[in-house]
Amino acid sequence: MTRKVALILIIAVLFLPFLPLVVWSVAKGWYFPQLVPQQWTGAHWAAVVAPGSRVLQGFWQSLVVAGLSTALALAVGLPAGRALGLMEFPGKGAIKLVLLLPIIVSPLATLMGIQFVLIRLGLNGTLAGVVLVHLLPTIPYMTLVLSSVYANFDTGYEAQARSLGASPIQVLWRVTLPLVAPGIVVGALFAFLISWNEFLLTFFVGGGQVLTLPMILFTALQGGNTGLTAAIAVTSVIPALIFLLFSSRALHDDAAMGGLGDV
Amino acid sequence: MSNRAYCTIQGLTKRFRGLPAVCDLWLEIYQGERLALLGPSGCGKSTTLQMLAGLVTPDSGQIRLDGRSLNGVPPERRAMALVLQRGLLFPHLSVGENVAFGLKLRGINRAEREAQAMAMLAQVQLTGFENRRPGELSGGQAQRVALARSLVIRPKLLLLDEPLSALDATLRGDMQDLILRLQEDTGVTLLIVTHDQQEAVVMSHRIALMFDGYLRQIDTPEALYQRPNDATVARFFGGVNFFEAVGDRHRLRLPGGDMLTTDHPQQGPVQVTIRPERIHLLAEQLCGTNLLPVTITQTRFTGTHRHLTLSTVAGLELQAWVPPGQTFAVGQSAFAHLPPDAIWSFPSVDELSLPEPVSIRGG
Repeated sequence: MTRKVALILIIAVLFLPFLPLVVWSVAKGWYFPQLVPQQWTGAHWAAVVAPGSRVLQGFWQSLVVAGLSTALALAVGLPAGRALGLMEFPGKGAIKLVLLLPIIVSPLATLMGIQFVLIRLGLNGTLAGVVLVHLLPTIPYMTLVLSSVYANFDTGYEAQARSLGASPIQVLWRVTLPLVAPGIVVGALFAFLISWNEFLLTFFVGGGQVLTLPMILFTALQGGNTGLTAAIAVTSVIPALIFLLFSSRALHDDAAMGGLGDV
Repeated sequence: MSNRAYCTIQGLTKRFRGLPAVCDLWLEIYQGERLALLGPSGCGKSTTLQMLAGLVTPDSGQIRLDGRSLNGVPPERRAMALVLQRGLLFPHLSVGENVAFGLKLRGINRAEREAQAMAMLAQVQLTGFENRRPGELSGGQAQRVALARSLVIRPKLLLLDEPLSALDATLRGDMQDLILRLQEDTGVTLLIVTHDQQEAVVMSHRIALMFDGYLRQIDTPEALYQRPNDATVARFFGGVNFFEAVGDRHRLRLPGGDMLTTDHPQQGPVQVTIRPERIHLLAEQLCGTNLLPVTITQTRFTGTHRHLTLSTVAGLELQAWVPPGQTFAVGQSAFAHLPPDAIWSFPSVDELSLPEPVSIRGG
């Protein structure tokens, strides 16, 4: 009972701030001292979901960027996390520090240099350039999460599978990946959300060509249309919620917990 | 069990960061044999097993199984199966899927796979467990599933790495019986690595004893008890009585002047040993040979035995384990009879040159 109440309280505290946003998105003006808006409208949402709307385009753009940078971060983070988590080698501490640098150092300090390089490579203002620059904050998170997962991973499972007749690829596919899956979900969640919400890097490198949802949101905010801004803001929360629900289900599956460390 | 060498290990050597782990190991395993690789922790027995399984590459040496050299052969193509200390059932698969894991990799169809897995589970007395998750099993059950999973692929050599050390004592006895029965039913050649000499004695036809990376003696359990190669081996198997003597064929002259007769002739200075359970203690002088007058200095009742410490006139200390029915008081005089067939000796060597006997139970 107490647990239930606590749970409801937590949910309320987490989601109450969203309530005014939701109200704004369907209100036609909402001013002090009105407790609830006097007039309602579906116009903002109609504008969001209209075929070919900028918001929808931004949504897909964001999805592609976040999806690609998560996949790439995973491709780098899995082997890197394994090396950091399982192996002992000189300079391991230094490598971990270097990995953290993109998080510690403000992107403002590095963006000029990055942009210069990307322009020379012809990647400035392209989707590929944005995906590449989003790896800057996503790879450290992914690698650190996965290294702590691998630190608790028993390689005995792999030896066992090998002796039962599995080739290294089969071991990876049938044993290692299923066992570290919860860690992958957590790492991917981090990476996806970081990329999804990234504004500054997209703003500089995208050069107004790559318009992800945060860019659209920023433009709408500057435009002063509170209702539309609220609708876009609510839209931008949707994938995070879906991802969270999906991953909490994956994390609750006890069988998958075998390889999950202290993430 | 045949007498043909089925698996041969020749000159196997492995160093870790310059420190020798296994040194020039030569070993033959016969088909259908149960061989125990015994030794204190850190003696190289697990490294040997890992080299056999292909998980560790030897620095030099040859491993052959059933006429085929295994140098450079990856673990999955060695026709060996491994059971490790913690069972290591794949937690994302059900018990049935765990057992069928190796069959699935061999491309055996689903129906056949399930039939074989169920039959194997029945053999380890876990019928009806196929849909359980590994997390729901007790330690003993998990270890039985691990055994079933390894046996179902019909390996040429089954490798057990301390398979029972994580289980409690009563369960361990049952598991030993089960493994022995499974081995007899399937006829699989079995190599068991253990630090527990009791377990090695119960589980194996022959025991290979290792110390500090060297193979010290390979023999039947009986021989290791009765005819150890040296004092270190004898101590590892619970030998407690050691004394110096000078041998002249079947006669042994003790420093105090006492003479003993032995069935195992020796020449020159020797170290003599006799197992404490082989010393008979008599209240009266019933026979003439090998009888030493002793005084009892200590007595301990252990339930199944009475452990006595004896002191001879010449100051020699001996330990004797006598049946619990025999009662002796401290300070009492008696006669210790040392049967000639129980007196074993090996040439005296400077004991310091031998590695110290490390604790029998280790991590």
